[in-house]
Amino acid sequence: MMGPDDIRVLSDALAADPGSLVFLQLGEALRRQGQLDLAWRVAMRGAERHPQRPDAHDLLARVAADRGDLDRARSAWESALALSPGHPAAQKGLGFLFFQQGLRADAERLLAAAQAADPADASLGAALAKIRAIGADPADADDAAQVRPMAPTPPRASVAIAPPSAQPRTTQAIAAPAPFAPAPADPRDVFAGVLPDETHAALFLDADGLVVAGRYKAADGRDVSADIGAQLSGVSDEASRAMRHLGLGAWTHLAVEAEQASVAMAPVGDGVVLVAAPRRVPLGFVRRMLDRAAERVKRWVESGT
Amino acid sequence: MTSPYATILAGLIRHRGVKGCLVVGETDGLLVDSTLQFGVNGQIFAALTASLFRKARRASQAAGLGDAAFVQLEAENGRVCAVGRGELVLVVVAEPRVNLGLVRVDMLKAVEALA
Repeated sequence: MMGPDDIRVLSDALAADPGSLVFLQLGEALRRQGQLDLAWRVAMRGAERHPQRPDAHDLLARVAADRGDLDRARSAWESALALSPGHPAAQKGLGFLFFQQGLRADAERLLAAAQAADPADASLGAALAKIRAIGADPADADDAAQVRPMAPTPPRASVAIAPPSAQPRTTQAIAAPAPFAPAPADPRDVFAGVLPDETHAALFLDADGLVVAGRYKAADGRDVSADIGAQLSGVSDEASRAMRHLGLGAWTHLAVEAEQASVAMAPVGDGVVLVAAPRRVPLGFVRRMLDRAAERVKRWVESGT
Repeated sequence: MTSPYATILAGLIRHRGVKGCLVVGETDGLLVDSTLQFGVNGQIFAALTASLFRKARRASQAAGLGDAAFVQLEAENGRVCAVGRGELVLVVVAEPRVNLGLVRVDMLKAVEALA
């Protein structure tokens, strides 16, 4: 394991060249030392600077998993696999995460792929054996919690944090639109029913620009929620600054009409809700979707989920 | 001397609720020309709205949404709209009651004459 001196050297190297890939080593070293907040910042900035690198998303996912943010971990690993479908670390991390969440079929598929890339990894063999032994009996899903201790070298991300879901789910079931419930099981489904179709997207971002709820999928199906959130939250920060100096009071709505999409944002609590629609959608309609999305988020937050 | 933007600005300031119209350099935030009601500080509006537009444009590009064509910001006590062309940004500062749709259409037409 790296020591403080090593981390200092890496930090200095990154400070000297913020665009370098040193953040991968630094973020991982900080994660292994348990400095998760620092690791998170390093990973976030790295992923912002290098959004096309799957290993940047993999690092982000590992740190998110260690922080207990499994939704974010899943989203980041999915981004890594969208960029590089055979990325072994992402396959392994997401495979363990799926298993913990009771998604056995998806877990087996990913872990088997990871094992093919690294047959010597005993943790993968043990996890796969466990999955296959469990078979189709949902009552055995609780056994998933045993996977992590079984694994002599746990996945680089310690994803075995959340208890497995009592009801096995599939990724298809999660992705499918569902009527809104006051407390949806998946925060990404908070805006279900608010948006007319999958060409529209909505996100709820916290004060740091991190995705709290909702999802944003690119045209090719990749989940780009984290990237979009990180980029656009900076605009709301700039809006706050401008309004403060101009004496116009607190900002209430912000709309950006871009070539590919129209994006509207509004503050909700300490965060920001964001709605995006294809450019062909009239701005007034986007604005009304934003109002509905903001109301949905307020209710969701008040429900305590 | 009349600036080449005087006609554009005169057309926009006529809208009810519009308090000021500015042509601003996007990169440096410097005021190029303006028509302002009393009490509107053109230099400050120029600097801050140029910064906001620049940020929106960069974020939009970085997020893969393409170039930002029109940015509109609403606050408790007013609205700011910005549209860019080349190195210049056309900015309108207005009261909350302004007819935003009309101003937006005229700004998108007017911006064609910039640069």
